[in-house]
Amino acid sequence: MKHSGCAVNKERHFSCEDCNGNVSGGFDASTSQIVLCQNNIRNQAHMNRVVTHELVHAFDHCRAHVNWFTDVRHLACSEVRAANLSGDCSLVNEIFRLHFGLKQHHQTCVRDRAILSILAVRNISKEVAQKAVDEVFESCFNDHEPFGRIPHNKTYARYAHRDFQNRDRYYSNI
Amino acid sequence: MADGGAWRPPRPCEAYRAEWKLCRSARHFLHHYYVHGERPACEQWRRDLASCREWEERRSAEAQSLCESERARVQATRKHALVWALRQSPPADWHLPLPQDEKDQ
Repeated sequence: MKHSGCAVNKERHFSCEDCNGNVSGGFDASTSQIVLCQNNIRNQAHMNRVVTHELVHAFDHCRAHVNWFTDVRHLACSEVRAANLSGDCSLVNEIFRLHFGLKQHHQTCVRDRAILSILAVRNISKEVAQKAVDEVFESCFNDHEPFGRIPHNKTYARYAHRDFQNRDRYYSNI
Repeated sequence: MADGGAWRPPRPCEAYRAEWKLCRSARHFLHHYYVHGERPACEQWRRDLASCREWEERRSAEAQSLCESERARVQATRKHALVWALRQSPPADWHLPLPQDEKDQ
């Protein structure tokens, strides 16, 4: 985030609030703030996942002209990326939700959760949300910035960070 | 591949070894199958590790294949057109105080 010009300050960019329903968090582009729903976040692992998810949105807001409120395809793209890269759709989390599947199930989960996230913040039909996700999925599922890979666990995250630290050497020698 | 005496492999050889080992691990097989529905392809990491070591030991011309391999990796990440336009600079209001903070002050 800092490298992209959006250094994160805990007091300014995070807010802990009570939320309606079972929403865990959100990113408010109009105030550049991540909201964490203190009444719905269950434990540290859940917190880690929610923070990562919302930081993906914040990162997209920082690096791109995302039309959050006027283009549902842009919203869909960021939700696909957040579901993909945050651990929302890990095998373990899906099993806890009683969604059983192995071969390529991650992609099914990412699609479904992106649609749910869109419906939670936009007053549109499921069909419109689904169409938007379908249109952007190929591009956005394969956009792994800033990690360069899907960070399944701490090892992958560590390797992603190592690559980030090595980026100057990398791009000057290819 | 940059000409001149300053060239070195894009990653330290240890990084190629670590990526190859991770790729071949059972855990990665499971993650990759869960995401892509097929087994991971690790052979290129092994070839890159060999090229890197060749260069370290003998400054061999094998290094050329390393550049090609890495450029192919970069190309693979850029093959899909982005949905949105990238910014030239971060949002102007990222660091500004919240509206209610201004009112409080």
